[in-house]
Amino acid sequence: MNLQMVGCTHRDAGIDIRQQLAFDSSQTLDALSQWQSRFPDAELVLLSTCNRVELYAVGIPSTDELIHALLDYHQVPADQVEGQLQTLSDSEVVSYLYRVASSLESMVVGEPQILAQVKQAYQSAQEVGSTGPLLHDLFQSALRTAKRVTGETSLHKHRVSIPSVAISDLASCVFETFDNKHALVIGAGEMADETLRYLRDAGDAHIHVINRDKQRGQQLAEKWNGQYHPWEDLWEQLTAADLTISTTAATEPIVTAADFEYKVAPGRYQRPLFILDLAVPRDFDSDVGNSLGVYLYSLDDLALACDQNRAARAAELPSAEKIVDQETERFLAEMHHRATAPVITGLRQGFERPKNAELERLFKKLPNLDDPSRKEIEQFADRLVNKMLHPPLESLRDASQNGTPHGLLDALRRLFKLEN
Amino acid sequence: MGSGINMLCFSACYAIALALEVSGLWARMRAARIALLVSAIAGLAAHSWYLVHRVTEMPEAPLASQQDWYILAAWVLAILYLILKLYYSRSSMGLFFLPAVLALIGISRFATQTPLTSFQAPRVWGQVHGVLLMVGTVAVLVGFLAGLMYLIQSYRLKHKMPPGRYLKLPSLEWLEKANSQSLGIATLFVGGGFFTGVLSRLASQGEQNFVPWTDPVVVSLAAMFVWLVVAEVFRLIYPAARQGQKVAYLTIAAILFLTLVLSVVTWRDSLHMGAEIDNPDEPTQSQKTAVSTSAHTSPPTNNGGPA
Repeated sequence: MNLQMVGCTHRDAGIDIRQQLAFDSSQTLDALSQWQSRFPDAELVLLSTCNRVELYAVGIPSTDELIHALLDYHQVPADQVEGQLQTLSDSEVVSYLYRVASSLESMVVGEPQILAQVKQAYQSAQEVGSTGPLLHDLFQSALRTAKRVTGETSLHKHRVSIPSVAISDLASCVFETFDNKHALVIGAGEMADETLRYLRDAGDAHIHVINRDKQRGQQLAEKWNGQYHPWEDLWEQLTAADLTISTTAATEPIVTAADFEYKVAPGRYQRPLFILDLAVPRDFDSDVGNSLGVYLYSLDDLALACDQNRAARAAELPSAEKIVDQETERFLAEMHHRATAPVITGLRQGFERPKNAELERLFKKLPNLDDPSRKEIEQFADRLVNKMLHPPLESLRDASQNGTPHGLLDALRRLFKLEN
Repeated sequence: MGSGINMLCFSACYAIALALEVSGLWARMRAARIALLVSAIAGLAAHSWYLVHRVTEMPEAPLASQQDWYILAAWVLAILYLILKLYYSRSSMGLFFLPAVLALIGISRFATQTPLTSFQAPRVWGQVHGVLLMVGTVAVLVGFLAGLMYLIQSYRLKHKMPPGRYLKLPSLEWLEKANSQSLGIATLFVGGGFFTGVLSRLASQGEQNFVPWTDPVVVSLAAMFVWLVVAEVFRLIYPAARQGQKVAYLTIAAILFLTLVLSVVTWRDSLHMGAEIDNPDEPTQSQKTAVSTSAHTSPPTNNGGPA
């Protein structure tokens, strides 16, 4: 097959090397064009994400040339990446790409973005025209494998990031829909921003931001099309909120149980309030969670849920690996069988030629044969050829299950005097 | 039944669906989910066929007797379950709905097959009375089940229990809505059932033309209606009772009244036994039909009616 892969991932290479070797979308197209002119007969696909830079190739004479091609684009010296580059060939590449597309090689196993990234990498190569029949089949089957893993296992169903668990797993147990819900964000940290991303994906909540720093609060509110409120409105906003995300850097709780009981609870009439306290130390006194209708989750509570989901994902890994193994075996058998195609064609032609010559001779000797008799004789000849070809073809198919049967192919070529 | 479908057929289907729902607490497989849906649909189809056959054999059915009334209520509840199952395919609502369906079918086996139209009231009043009370009963049951699910879901969230991997319940918001709407519908229909019962009694002729206010059936039904009205008024005027656990508690309490009413109606009903009282030795034509059509489907019941 002469299939190769060279690259670095989060497993073997540090972030500095990954950053040096990373390609953005325009660089990807440019690099593929350059490599295509350097290796006109090769097939190439480049996959570059934050966690991996991988170059898949068919028809490159040696692995060293592929490594140099990758490093030369960014002019990274070879000694700088020593021991941090991974090289794979043939069946290893097939299995590896399937694992990558199925997110089994991701930093967070089961994360869904990688499938789109693999698809995008293949589309970029198609755009440049650097793909070929083998990489086409390989990437198509990789996407199919990933879909099987998604559909047949629940690997992707268990969320593992804190904001996604908070919104998709827990808040959705309280709210049927997030549309028109009053979502209050206290603080304007990164975690708030990340959580709002999930909240926005889940529905069209009305976002209200309270922050001591007005400028940062307003920025966050604007980013998510929300409304900024001064710190003094905290109690009023808490009274109106359905969902609260708190991420301040305060060293003491900003809402004590007494505050909640006297300033917030009376106006809420026990209406459910889901509080995500993502601050360390906590923004909400844990006793606030004892109030009727209040569901308070701290970072520790959410981390516990994430750990449980991680364990659930781990339990799904054997099933996912099994699918990858099955698909790898299937692809390789297909590839090996494809290598036998010229011999099969040669064999068929080698039998068809004498068959046709003998039929012609026979029909000339028996000119008075009627049409049904001629057809019967032709069918007899076809059946005879097929039956004679069946044992060698079956042996070829069986032998190609475990790799290209070079010995058998050579023997057939010599026995039947087939041209190379 | 002449159709070959009896109570055992649809009960078995519902029981299989329930067993599959229970097995889903440990492992959720696609094949099991499909089998569950097929069992529930098969149960409902058999249940519907049973009722259709009852109507063709006896025009007064499906509200001809207490037994029919229970089976019809179970059918309505089974339809609700199936609709919810199709809408929330991954939820475990069957764990709550199917036992209620089976319980109604189970009670029906102890209920009398004696025709309910005991006094000479216009037949339409009796039918309206039966339908309204049946819908009210189903609404109370749905409210109770939604309330129960609300309390379980709320408990899980309060105690930071991980979101159910296998026991999947609807959101609190949905359950609260189902809860409060059921309470409103139950109040309306039970009230309607109660008043049509009174009116049908007053519209009847002869010695039946009075309302026996001290009869246990009337007393228990009135108590349930009063409770539902009080709960609904409480819910409307007290904001804290409009949401959260309070409305769940209100509907759960309503089930106690419903149990009382159904127990009295099933075991101590003297109001609907007029046909027998009129001719204690001679069963009516409809009574004969009821007995003949379900002779091999039901255990011997108190056809003679309670005292």
